[in-house]
Amino acid sequence: MLEVTDLHIEIEDSIIPETVVYDFDITVSPGEIVGIVGESGSGKSMSALAIAGLLSRKDMKKKGSIMFEGEELLTAPRSHLRSIQGDDIAVVFQEPMTSLNPVKTIGYQVEEALRIHSDLPDEEIKKRALDMLRDVELDDVESIYEKYPHELSGGMRQRVMIAAALICNPKLLIADEPTTALDVTIQAQIIELLKKINRQMGTAILFISHDLSVIRSLCSRVLVMNKGRIVESGLVDEVFDHPKEEYTKHLIEAIPKFKKIAKPSQDPDRKPILEVKNVSARYKKVSGFFVPGTKQKLVVKDASFTMYDGEIMGLVGESGSGKTTLGKTILGMLDDTDGRIIHYSEMPQMVFQDPYGSLNPTRTVGWILEEPLRIKGGYTAKERRERAKSMLSLVGLDETYLKRRPKALSGGQRQRVCIALALMLGPKLIIADEPVSALDVTVQEQVINLLIKLNRELGIAILFISHDLKVVYELCSRVIVMKDGRIVEQGTDEEIYNDPKDPYTKQLLSSAGYLK
Amino acid sequence: MKTVLKKIATFVITVLLVTLFVFIAFELIPGDAATYRLGINATPESLERLREELGLTRPFFVRYFSWLGDFFFGDMGTSISYGVSVRSMLASKLPITLTLTLMSFVLVVALSIPIGVITSKYEDRPLSKAVDVLGQLTMSIPPFFLGILITYLFGMILHMFTPGGFVSYDVNFIRFMGYLFFPAVAIALPKAAMSTKLLKTSILSERKLDYVRTAYSRGNSTMDVLYKHVLKNALIPVITFLGMTLADIVAGSLVIEQVFSIPGYGRLLISSISNRDYPVVQAIIAIIAMIVIFINLLVDIMYQVLDPRMRGN
Repeated sequence: MLEVTDLHIEIEDSIIPETVVYDFDITVSPGEIVGIVGESGSGKSMSALAIAGLLSRKDMKKKGSIMFEGEELLTAPRSHLRSIQGDDIAVVFQEPMTSLNPVKTIGYQVEEALRIHSDLPDEEIKKRALDMLRDVELDDVESIYEKYPHELSGGMRQRVMIAAALICNPKLLIADEPTTALDVTIQAQIIELLKKINRQMGTAILFISHDLSVIRSLCSRVLVMNKGRIVESGLVDEVFDHPKEEYTKHLIEAIPKFKKIAKPSQDPDRKPILEVKNVSARYKKVSGFFVPGTKQKLVVKDASFTMYDGEIMGLVGESGSGKTTLGKTILGMLDDTDGRIIHYSEMPQMVFQDPYGSLNPTRTVGWILEEPLRIKGGYTAKERRERAKSMLSLVGLDETYLKRRPKALSGGQRQRVCIALALMLGPKLIIADEPVSALDVTVQEQVINLLIKLNRELGIAILFISHDLKVVYELCSRVIVMKDGRIVEQGTDEEIYNDPKDPYTKQLLSSAGYLK
Repeated sequence: MKTVLKKIATFVITVLLVTLFVFIAFELIPGDAATYRLGINATPESLERLREELGLTRPFFVRYFSWLGDFFFGDMGTSISYGVSVRSMLASKLPITLTLTLMSFVLVVALSIPIGVITSKYEDRPLSKAVDVLGQLTMSIPPFFLGILITYLFGMILHMFTPGGFVSYDVNFIRFMGYLFFPAVAIALPKAAMSTKLLKTSILSERKLDYVRTAYSRGNSTMDVLYKHVLKNALIPVITFLGMTLADIVAGSLVIEQVFSIPGYGRLLISSISNRDYPVVQAIIAIIAMIVIFINLLVDIMYQVLDPRMRGN
């Protein structure tokens, strides 16, 4: 059905033309699910967008052949492409938050492709849209039909995206990282939904992901891409169990596999470094000048736990569970809290999730690193520079980085700078809020190893906030599980992973694919 | 219902504050209506008598609240310099200033939206670049100077209107509109240039967003993506700008009335300020504040129509 041969994609934007995809070959048969796996910048999304006819930028040159149902798409006129787009080939994108038009109703967006590609009367179109919304397992579809994207959760939006893509019953569905932005339990549901659609409607799926375990659970064949090239391809089990290429092996090794990297320290005489007693936190909504703010949202409810010197403790939960709010509350970044927080160390620091947004783009790394010392005062310029240099070398970057600006750094380098920044004041406790979630797996591994090194060599205690149970398992000796603002369970890693008591913990573990 | 009450409360408080500030300003500047009327050679006794007569000797807040109470019931007092009712003076001039303001506003919208859309569409073409330069130029010319240029070009060279001439709306409405057109252009052009530029950049940045790619993936043509998806999103910041511009347009029309000799509120306001004719000034300021707030209310409503995220639950 789909046969791509020798696809090359070149960007002529810069002075030297840059080839981003080389010799790309793929075939997809009707009803098949094929995966493309690779890290960011590998060219996987580029290739998929080219197949969907969505790479029409003037500065992009494409060569080769994309045959779909016996027709050449690469050289086809736009009008012909349009008649296929949304009808025979449909796409589901990564970000359900931004991929829907914020000012159009869900109904409009689900129906749109059908309006473009058919002459059906309005009532029939609406009926099909409602049916489609039911097929993607949404409840109360009549009310969802009238709603706008901002009124739905991430998982619901992705279901809407899928419904909108399937409305014309396409032969090929291209899914570009459709689960990456979602929580694990929702991810698992979306994967199940895609399987069901493939089974019941016979839609072929081209599934693009950086997540090997998702590819493995869904696809029959897989292509591994690196730096614009397909390095290996074949049946999923074949490629994953007997990888031939170095890169594939490396990629598979980097998948967090519920493998301990750090040995949990269980010193019997350990002293507490942080005590959290019955802490609640709420966000106040100030509704107006004349009507004093009475609306409150309790985000953390009655949380209590103790952290000890030099331990790495995991705080897991899905988005909206209150884990980030709890982290911020511990550092006194919120005003409206109850309960007691006792710190036994000075100046605990925080490392944030998004290394792209948390560094001031207009300043150099040196300036950023020295800022806490400038604010604290009492250091000479030379002392500040020296401290910045030594912290950079601790996180594995040399002093040439002092003069660079965040824009010139990769995601992993930026996160290292963020960690160095947290170390500037010599804290004994670091709260790391999803520090690796925005990074590729191989880079994730490096940052995790860095955190473990800091813990071992400097004895820094780390509260590691994450939604990823595999990563938490790698380095944490104790784990707290949060749901809807409450701590539902806490214990040692053994207790949580091998003997979970709370049904929610069990559900999380099974969605993450944890087997004893 | 709550939002409506809130809007009304904001409306009332703004008018109260604005008029209070004008009262305070009159307290602070030297001279009053009595000194203006009697001139510099007046004796202190005669000044005192006239002040007593005009009610200027009463305490500040008594004067303010008595004015406010009267205004609330539609009595704007009597003009100190002309001795006639302020209400009748203003009533005949309201349509002039109001028409000029609205005409300018309509021109801003009617010019900037199509030009913004077209220049964003042909972003790389020379024409679009030329519009950019022209816009930049228009933006940097103050409206009153633009008014002088227009008077010279269209009035004195092309004879499309008589400079200094004016036909009232109750004499010939079409000609009245004709006389207001060029002043409205002078007010509107700089604002239209800004709004065009804003719309263009807004469309260009919206076009890079994910939902646009989604729209293309469904088989929409470039035109459909622009009109059905991008435009509505791109207009949201433009509406915000237009709302903020409005007060500028009203202020601009007061100045432009001077340049084109239009007998609207602008000329009356300026002469009344120098005459210390505070009942007239107060009434004009209060009315202008009300017009601005009212149109802002319309902008708010437009905002809610365009952006569902702005609507309350």
